[in-house]
Amino acid sequence: MLVGLLFALQQWIEMRMWYPRAQMSILVVCGAWMLQYFVWGVLCWSLWFWFGPQLRKLNWKYLVFRLLPLSILMSFCVEVALVTFFPQFPRSEKRIPYFERLNFEFTSEFLENLAVFWSVFLVFRMLGYYEDARQKERALSQLSVELAHAQMQALRMQINPHFLFNTMNGISSLMHSNVDAADQMLEQLSSMLRITLERGPAQLIALREEIEFIEMYLALQNRRFSGRIHQRISIEPQLHDALVPTMILQPLVENAFVHGFSKMTGEGTLEIQAMRRNRRLRIIVRNNGAGLHNTNEQGRVTSGTGLNNIRNRLQLLFDQEQSLTIRESAPNVVQVEVSFPLKYSDMPEKILFEYGSA
Amino acid sequence: MMHTVIADDEALAREKLKVLLNGEPDIAIVGESTTGPDTIELVRETHPELLFLDIRMPGMDGFDIFEALSKDVESVLPKIIFTTAYDTYAIRAFEINAVDYLLKPFSAERLHAAVERVRHHQRGMGEASASAVKDDGGGAHFIQRIVFKSRGKILFLPVSDLRCIAAEENYVRLVTESESYLLRETMSRMELKLDPDQFLRVHRSFMVNIAFVKEIRTEKHGELVVFLDNGAKVPMSRSYKSRLNELLSH
Repeated sequence: MLVGLLFALQQWIEMRMWYPRAQMSILVVCGAWMLQYFVWGVLCWSLWFWFGPQLRKLNWKYLVFRLLPLSILMSFCVEVALVTFFPQFPRSEKRIPYFERLNFEFTSEFLENLAVFWSVFLVFRMLGYYEDARQKERALSQLSVELAHAQMQALRMQINPHFLFNTMNGISSLMHSNVDAADQMLEQLSSMLRITLERGPAQLIALREEIEFIEMYLALQNRRFSGRIHQRISIEPQLHDALVPTMILQPLVENAFVHGFSKMTGEGTLEIQAMRRNRRLRIIVRNNGAGLHNTNEQGRVTSGTGLNNIRNRLQLLFDQEQSLTIRESAPNVVQVEVSFPLKYSDMPEKILFEYGSA
Repeated sequence: MMHTVIADDEALAREKLKVLLNGEPDIAIVGESTTGPDTIELVRETHPELLFLDIRMPGMDGFDIFEALSKDVESVLPKIIFTTAYDTYAIRAFEINAVDYLLKPFSAERLHAAVERVRHHQRGMGEASASAVKDDGGGAHFIQRIVFKSRGKILFLPVSDLRCIAAEENYVRLVTESESYLLRETMSRMELKLDPDQFLRVHRSFMVNIAFVKEIRTEKHGELVVFLDNGAKVPMSRSYKSRLNELLSH
């Protein structure tokens, strides 16, 4: 309709310029053009509606044997409609019989009509191609998201059983020597399991929750190392709600025990710090255990499952935006630093609590 | 002696409680039950002071049992310690004034703490009724305990256990003798909820429990510091000093 209106305006202005004396109301011109394109619009739309899917992926045979005759038929229909409803065209002093007019219009506008049909067809084809491409792209990105998700899930799963079986082995051993300690360790393990189950498959959680889990893990380890490891956790208060990958700290802390503290006999200190640097979150885990040199000789730091696991998950979650470094910040002090963009959860999860006055 | 009933449909769970409670000299187990109706009957017969109650039992759940028992007008309700594997009922248990909520599996240590709390309640009975008369109205608005989940456990924490409270952005840190917990709450709301005769704001970000304040000292650079009985130091602003002195002089 709109296209028809534009054409009509054009023709009207043309006429006023070239035939100043021509008597024809703008309404009739507009009506005629609009009718022509309205019919085109309806025809094309219904064509699209009924045969859209075929139109999008047709071959040349279909093109020649079906669409070509169809285009001719449609041009004819449009002209019939035009001639029937607007007997004023073509402009002439005397009245022309219906079929002559039809003949005249059809021959004069046949090519034009065909052009309209085929350009509409081309637009449809292009739209079809565009949509196909978009859909493929979407499916592809969806697939890669799912793949990454599955990979992360697998990586997360790698950590839990490892830790679970190690701890159960510890409990099993304690049962023979110290029943009370085994009892307490079992309680702690259940608490950790409960928390892990509650969290479900979320990839990112609040730092507060991750630290809570680490505190439980440290309490458990503390029992094994009979209190000779001191811990210092310092979290900048505004970071409690910052988002971190689930179970990112536990493997780092576990490494500190396995590669650091278990190789020495004296007292040790484990430090965990979280700080904000510009728009990044920096987490540091430091231990003054055996140092990097000793562990490197066994080639375990660089090939450890825990570190690789974290590296892979960081890569999947933050791509190039993340870093994980491990170095000796002082003699025998191993410092692991993880850094990634700082983000907060949109809706901090409601923590269950209530007050009572009795 | 504290007469005690154990209600749990699992034999091993009852066995565990029996063995562990053996170590508590003032506890006498007067009966065990495995279903809701049995429990109600047993409690009506033996009038125990303490009831260990599993929440999911055949026929009725722990709250149904509580409701049935609370309809008995003439008898005093036993103190209830819930024992369950589910943490979803914690708030409900808290609201019906259960003494504690033990998540299975619990350790001997945890059970002991719960029993200790019952003893504390028993001892406090006389005092509580006396003080209720004294400050009826005013004191009742202040919170006496907080229920929350921390480190996979349910805690019914009496505020009298708190040493100090520290503001941390969107959270407050509750510090007890050996632990600290984060709670999503503001300092000013906390200040309104706690009894000002018990808790005192000493700094923009700190409140202390007056019962645990040992002394106030001036450090070498002139900063004021509140020392708590466990050796913890809490910074203090000068503007709050007079109020603390006034309270300590009582």
